[in-house]
Amino acid sequence: MRAPVFRQPSFLFAALLLTGAFLFTGTFTATTAFAHSPICNCYNDEENDNKVICEGGFSDGGSAEGVGVKVLNDRDRVLINGAMNADSIFTFTKPDDDFHIIYDAGPSHQVIIYVDDIE
Amino acid sequence: MTRNLHRLFVRSSAIALSIVGFSTTAVAHFQVLYTPEMAPSRANSTRFTMVFTHPVHGGPHMDMGQPEQFYVVSQRGSDSEPKRTDLMKHIKPIDWLSNTKADAGEAQTPIKAFNASLPRSVTRSLGDHIFVLQPAPYYESSEDKYIQQFTRTMVNVGGVPGNWAEPMDLPAEIQPLNKPYANWTGGVFRGRVLADGKPVPNAEMEIEFINHALDQDGRRFGEAGKVKLPQDAYGTQTIYADAQGEFAIGLPRAGWWGICALAIGATTEHEGKALSQDAVLWVQVKDMK
Repeated sequence: MRAPVFRQPSFLFAALLLTGAFLFTGTFTATTAFAHSPICNCYNDEENDNKVICEGGFSDGGSAEGVGVKVLNDRDRVLINGAMNADSIFTFTKPDDDFHIIYDAGPSHQVIIYVDDIE
Repeated sequence: MTRNLHRLFVRSSAIALSIVGFSTTAVAHFQVLYTPEMAPSRANSTRFTMVFTHPVHGGPHMDMGQPEQFYVVSQRGSDSEPKRTDLMKHIKPIDWLSNTKADAGEAQTPIKAFNASLPRSVTRSLGDHIFVLQPAPYYESSEDKYIQQFTRTMVNVGGVPGNWAEPMDLPAEIQPLNKPYANWTGGVFRGRVLADGKPVPNAEMEIEFINHALDQDGRRFGEAGKVKLPQDAYGTQTIYADAQGEFAIGLPRAGWWGICALAIGATTEHEGKALSQDAVLWVQVKDMK
């Protein structure tokens, strides 16, 4: 099983982002995300075999509402492009091909979930 | 004043088995609510064991009555709504065995405890899952009184915090000020003693380590203790909360630690006898490797 991937931004990069957030209030969610580790877990919907449910969150308990989620095939072509809802959940229908999921909380704050990781 | 009589062993058979080595030992009653891992990375089915015992010595144990309530309150993230799920249907009685080998030809009388095997769906979601056990009052004949320990064990899935620090307004409760499921050996654990959601000043508290490995399959504690107690007072650590009901303890060893606040609930009588409503919180500690 491959571990989820997430990396910490450098101090300088974080400072630039905070400055940007100060100038553009629309990036509030992203600013929150950069301050903490993103966490995402996906599992098969027990009530619908064709569906996958992804739950998002952050290590400080912050909401994942609006955090982008992409479902991609093996050639990294985006098959589904969406975002976490108000309950920090994103549900999608399984593609026919192999796929992986990117929980995208901003640059260097992505969690990649492979098919093998889906319970 | 500590519960002198409370600490007397309650079963003659247990006394017979226990008398060698610690006949005058002061031990505290603890309602155990055990599952092996409080902080799994991913959701799994879980099994809880409920046994009323003296954990630092691995016994003697006391018969449990049918629990009054067993439920979980789950929350993923600090902004979401907590969700309560009743778990009473999962509780099954089991025979819990003594951790001391019986002499040849001597029959052991098991005591009544409970297991709850929970499907993965119970802890499916990321976040905190606070398991609450409200046992039936236990009649302590040596004191002619009842004891009822409102017990909480918190499980976190995946590292997303939830409602671990939120008071639940139980009759007796220990509100953690550290995550109970994420503690390093050598760390400090802080909390606040509450009754019906209000701080209890100067509450008397007892701390014990599960010193004998809990074997869920074998339905017994291990015979050998992990730690040798240099003297009786080391078995049950007694502390008092401060004027705000807050306390802090050290966590010197990996494993499970039980924290109990004594006789803090408002209800003080049951079936015509005195009732001690206690609060128990379990903390899991791991080594830094």
